[in-house]
Amino acid sequence: MKEGFRQSMAWLHTWSGLLVGWILFLIFAAGTSAYFREEISLWMKPELHQAPQATSLSQAQAADVAQQFMQTHAQGSNRWTITLPGEREPVISAFWPVPQAQQATPAPAGERRRQRFENATIDPATGERIAAPRQTRGGDFFYRLHFDLHYMPALWARWIVGFCAMFMLVAIVSGIVTHKRIFKDFFTFRPKKGQRSWLDAHNATAVLALPYHLMITYTGLVTLMFMYMPWGPQLAYKGDQQAFFSEVFPNGSRASLKPSGTPAPLVPLSGLVKQASDAWDGQPVLRVTVSNPGDANATIAVSQDNTRGVSSKQASMLFNGTTGELLERRGEALAPAAETHGVLYGLHIGRFANPFVRWLFFLSGLAGTVMVATGLLLWAVKERQKFAKGGRIGFGLRLVDGLNVAAVAGLPLAMAVFFWANRLIPASTAERSPLEITCFFAAWGVAAVAGIAWPARRMWQIQLAIGGLLFALLPVLNPLTGGAGLWTTIPQARWAIAGFDLTVLLLGLALLACAWWIGKRKAARQPAARATAAAPSRSANASPPAATEPGLVTARNPLNPSGATP
Amino acid sequence: MSPLHITLALSSCVAAFASLGLAMDRHYEDSYGRGKEPAARTRQAFRLIGTAGLLLSLWACVAAVGASQGWVFWFGVMTVSALAVVLLLSYAPRRTMRVLQGGAALALASGAWAALAR
Amino acid sequence: MNLQATDSPHAAPRRRLVLSAAARYRWAVASRAVAAIGGGYGLSALCAATLSLFLPIERPEAVLTGTLAAFVVYPCAVMWVFAARTAWQAWLWLAVPCAVLGAALWLALRSGGAA
Repeated sequence: MKEGFRQSMAWLHTWSGLLVGWILFLIFAAGTSAYFREEISLWMKPELHQAPQATSLSQAQAADVAQQFMQTHAQGSNRWTITLPGEREPVISAFWPVPQAQQATPAPAGERRRQRFENATIDPATGERIAAPRQTRGGDFFYRLHFDLHYMPALWARWIVGFCAMFMLVAIVSGIVTHKRIFKDFFTFRPKKGQRSWLDAHNATAVLALPYHLMITYTGLVTLMFMYMPWGPQLAYKGDQQAFFSEVFPNGSRASLKPSGTPAPLVPLSGLVKQASDAWDGQPVLRVTVSNPGDANATIAVSQDNTRGVSSKQASMLFNGTTGELLERRGEALAPAAETHGVLYGLHIGRFANPFVRWLFFLSGLAGTVMVATGLLLWAVKERQKFAKGGRIGFGLRLVDGLNVAAVAGLPLAMAVFFWANRLIPASTAERSPLEITCFFAAWGVAAVAGIAWPARRMWQIQLAIGGLLFALLPVLNPLTGGAGLWTTIPQARWAIAGFDLTVLLLGLALLACAWWIGKRKAARQPAARATAAAPSRSANASPPAATEPGLVTARNPLNPSGATP
Repeated sequence: MSPLHITLALSSCVAAFASLGLAMDRHYEDSYGRGKEPAARTRQAFRLIGTAGLLLSLWACVAAVGASQGWVFWFGVMTVSALAVVLLLSYAPRRTMRVLQGGAALALASGAWAALAR
Repeated sequence: MNLQATDSPHAAPRRRLVLSAAARYRWAVASRAVAAIGGGYGLSALCAATLSLFLPIERPEAVLTGTLAAFVVYPCAVMWVFAARTAWQAWLWLAVPCAVLGAALWLALRSGGAA
């Protein structure tokens, strides 16, 4: 390469980052929120704010409670799935398919009825169903959003997200290669220096959390790797994906026996739960799945909650349902590639019970979100300098300016609106869950259109201020709309709810601070002869840029410096 | 998950990065004045302390949450500590040495306590 | 022999497609992009497939290893394409390994089918 490897990598880094930057911002923002999706869901169901926080019952006792409940409420169903209480969930949740005979309206003759499922959240202390909270997707909305997007078939969304993730991976690696002074500049941040500050902020958020960014991008691709790269199983197993999965993933591949028709009592679950947990060195149980309960051919599968390790693979044990005899142990000593896959998957999912580790992941994800945002804004700042001497800005810059507002300012605003909608839409409204989501997208749509139409500093200010205000007022809205406010949750140490309130308060204040800072910058603007710096982002590191530095403009394009034939 | 181990991990990591920062001309200058450079021996000492601090924090992370999660935890601790030191060097560079000393002291204290409490 | 119009020094020059420097640049970038995105995927897919078939370990292990490796190969291939001196070279550097792997794969499948 005439201009050198590093410069071509710089070009590649810029374009692979810019072209998909706005979608990446969404993926990072939604994915980072998903680390706390259970907590978000809890906050969004104020009816549950007084529910038990932690259960004093052991898992074995909870299993018995669940068994009682299921025997009363899920009679006749052929498969019970019970999730036992754990570190993050103090309640028992269960779901089961409703037997055909019990469905409200019989199926028309000759038509196959779609299987309906029922679920329940059970208080382990009372054995009673917890009153159904308001219908909401909760934190799962953000979780799904970050790879299934919305308003499109999941398959398309996953291809789009995978495409962007691949671009991201290229951007990261080319960024590392092109960063000449990665060690020398490791601690460098120079505020108040215009484009240099944006670059420093981008570098800092990128380099300091580099292991995380590399990991999360690569492992993101790994989670859907058989969809993106099915050629291994295709060729090695002659297209029989099922055979491949059953050889690799030891859980759930054993076909359920058909019910024999002979009723037989189910052995108490508590004993099996205790037995499994003991065999696993005290690791808790995640789930108990009973097939054909009450039948002679009943089987019980107990799966492990791998709290100590990183891998997502769950060991499991299979028991005979009437005698309690151990039939099979699975998933414990995995082959190296399978274990590696499990670890990579587990790293991405990040379901660490330890809150400290989870917070660090959250902060790193936030750093990633800021990295993407500062990258987008840095490009706009640099591009704007080409028009420093006057002249109308080009279409490319205009488009990027608009999209930057729409994404970086609009998305937080939409997220805040989502939480407000959750509290303002009455609990008894039918279809309220899709309605909350519609509010999210409607707010984002309005913000995006406004931002693209008028991507000025004032628009940044307005959107950041609105978003900031909405976020910061959530802890006030919370108790006013049926939730437990900070003055209740902090003394009671209900950290799941208090944590949400405190986090959104901080986020809101940060956004308001940015909006205020833009206002300050506007007042201190240099005379019109100098180019203005572009609008700021939520970066905590960025400070008011005083003036641009023409010396830092990258004048040449490394792929085609002189227009010669490449 | 002992708070002592976490304190040890964070404080030793912050001290380590402060030390590694001071080993660099640019940040030494910010801290001690223009034109000043650390002597060769001092630079070596800074680097050594920095490396030792990082390894100590790795040990503390593994002790806190176990072997597999410990590595993951360590990377997270390093991210946060490095960020703190970046802000320190940008906004209050002259306090860097104090932070180094304070971090080291806190690390020694919590490390000793954790070792004795076992 | 006919006197061609072009033989006369006063005839208009035969029309050739002349691209401006900017257009040539854009074509080159587009070419590299296609090579990187499409060709890169092809190369990584071939890697996944050949590793899955040829690694001397258990079949599910080989498949997992091959597929995991493919996502490392892909960004490297993309960077390789953009680091090449010319767009043509980029295509060449992709085509050769693809051809080699493709041939190996074809032979393996043929002998596998015949066996």
